Amino acid sequence: MMADSSLPAVPERPSAMTATARGAGRFVRALMREPTGAVGLVLIVVLLGVALCAPILPLKDPLKLYIDHRLQAPGAEFWLGTDQVGRDMLSRVIWGARASLAIGLAAVAIGVVLGTAIGLIAGYKAGTWTDELLMKTMEVLASIPLLIWAIALVGITGTDTIHVAGIALSNETKLVLLIGVLYAPGLARLTYGLARAEVQAEYVAARRLQGASATRIVLSDVLPNIISPVLVQATLLLGVTIIVEASLSFIGLGVQPPTPSWGAMLSDSRALIFTDFWWVSIFPGAAVFASVLAFNLVGDGMRTILDPRRRRRVADATQGGAA
Amino acid sequence: MRIFSRLLSSLMLLVVVSAMLFAMCRATPVSPARLTLGSDASADQIASFNRQHGLDRPVVAQYGAWLTHAATLDFGHSYVSGNDIGPEIADTLPGTVELVTLSFVLTLVMSIFLGTIAALKEDGAADHMLRIAAIVGLSIPSFWLGLLLIRYVALKTGWLPVGGLVPWADGIGAHLGSLILPVLTMSVYYIAVLSRLVRTNMVDALSQDYIRTARALGLPRGRILVYALKNALPSLVSTAAMSYGYMFGWALIVEQIFNLPGVSRALLAAIFQRDYPAVQAIVLVITTIFIVSNGCADLVQGVLDPKVKRT
Repeated sequence: MMADSSLPAVPERPSAMTATARGAGRFVRALMREPTGAVGLVLIVVLLGVALCAPILPLKDPLKLYIDHRLQAPGAEFWLGTDQVGRDMLSRVIWGARASLAIGLAAVAIGVVLGTAIGLIAGYKAGTWTDELLMKTMEVLASIPLLIWAIALVGITGTDTIHVAGIALSNETKLVLLIGVLYAPGLARLTYGLARAEVQAEYVAARRLQGASATRIVLSDVLPNIISPVLVQATLLLGVTIIVEASLSFIGLGVQPPTPSWGAMLSDSRALIFTDFWWVSIFPGAAVFASVLAFNLVGDGMRTILDPRRRRRVADATQGGAA
Repeated sequence: MRIFSRLLSSLMLLVVVSAMLFAMCRATPVSPARLTLGSDASADQIASFNRQHGLDRPVVAQYGAWLTHAATLDFGHSYVSGNDIGPEIADTLPGTVELVTLSFVLTLVMSIFLGTIAALKEDGAADHMLRIAAIVGLSIPSFWLGLLLIRYVALKTGWLPVGGLVPWADGIGAHLGSLILPVLTMSVYYIAVLSRLVRTNMVDALSQDYIRTARALGLPRGRILVYALKNALPSLVSTAAMSYGYMFGWALIVEQIFNLPGVSRALLAAIFQRDYPAVQAIVLVITTIFIVSNGCADLVQGVLDPKVKRT
């Protein structure tokens, strides 16, 4: 560190992997300092942990019917009670998390990959026919209202597994593909706007002069500079997807029984809405709410960290403190 | 000129999207004839069903015929009942439009009100509380909120009906009363989204030099607020219009929960009876509303904000 004070210290160039890991670590620490981000992050970790560990947790079988214990109130044996056919609510709520999270993560992943790829390519080739073609396609997809098309897709192809060009598509896969593709335009527009501005920057011209290929410039120079707002958006979309999936399962068009899902559990509870059996509608709904809340809290925390106005204020404050 | 080009592009979008819808509706695992007539129908019966519904013609011709008929609000016949689909939509759609429009108006009023308060008290207690409230509002699934409202408001207090719609004929008060909970269920999410946007734009507008000048000149606070709102609201028009279109999707779920007569009943009935022309027609109508409201938003924004016109 203090080797020779007359020369500027030249940091060793970290490999891309360690740089990413270090960046992620810094990001998580910053997030934990934001109240909303910290609560959300803890909730997500718990949620993912419980969902992943469902098979090894000491839970009752979510499909087993304890006929003698139908509609049992929450208690020592059934922590969250049982439903009208005597299934254990706790294990159904936990197993339901798997379907929700898997569908959410898969759909958003498709949206992010498609959206950023298209936005980056169109942004880098701004003004060419590639740009025109890609962004016009996005405009078409953006004029499709998601929920009603999801309802129509399942309504038309049925809830059974279908075969398209020899590939078997389960109902969940169909929905993931549709939702993912319909998320692409929003994310593509966001990336496009950011990428277009970024491509004008001098460092991109410098990289071109150095002979870097377009792919390299876009992936290793432009992408890292614009990815943050995209990730905020993706986090918020995860919450939206969980609600969409639960809503579809609620009207019988999403995750199909016997697979436990929060939406289907709420649908079952509708018949009991006028009775004293409150737990059948409270717990699955609270599970949807808590998981969506977790992603929205993290999204809010991320946005606060990345907000340039706040950054400036923090920088001003530290400078003021130093002076 | 701008109106014309915008109209043309909306029309093009509609043609392309309707073609995609048409293609999706052909992706049925079993042919409509087989589905409607049953598995023991003879080849002759299937051929005559296909002829009757035009299914023996080339797909492009079928699409062309469907689209040109749909443009004159003729959506063909139901496979199941044989009735015209157009009148059925005309019967059920107004209920949904009413629910969505009331929710939209409530959303706009509440968002502007709450967003402005948050912006005026930037970083104050009210701002932080509204921020938390907005995150909660974004996270609560509307169908669960609907169930909770039925259980803990309608049922507990007995002031509001737990479901169903009181017709206009029984008095406006009772009619609107039966829509309070559904409208609330629909609006919470969009109030959360839009009030945050109003806040961001208002904070921006309030920090501009012209507001400082207006304050220095000693203009009344209300007047200053109007100036700020005039500059903060135009950029919200497109998001608001998109919300209007999306609300039709959520209305399908909310109508189910509150047992309201609307297009959702027709759509779900069509889905469970595998009545494809009806599904196709209803989805086309709602998609058209979505595209038209987005197109109108563009025009309105152009009028409100002259900067948009230049781009």
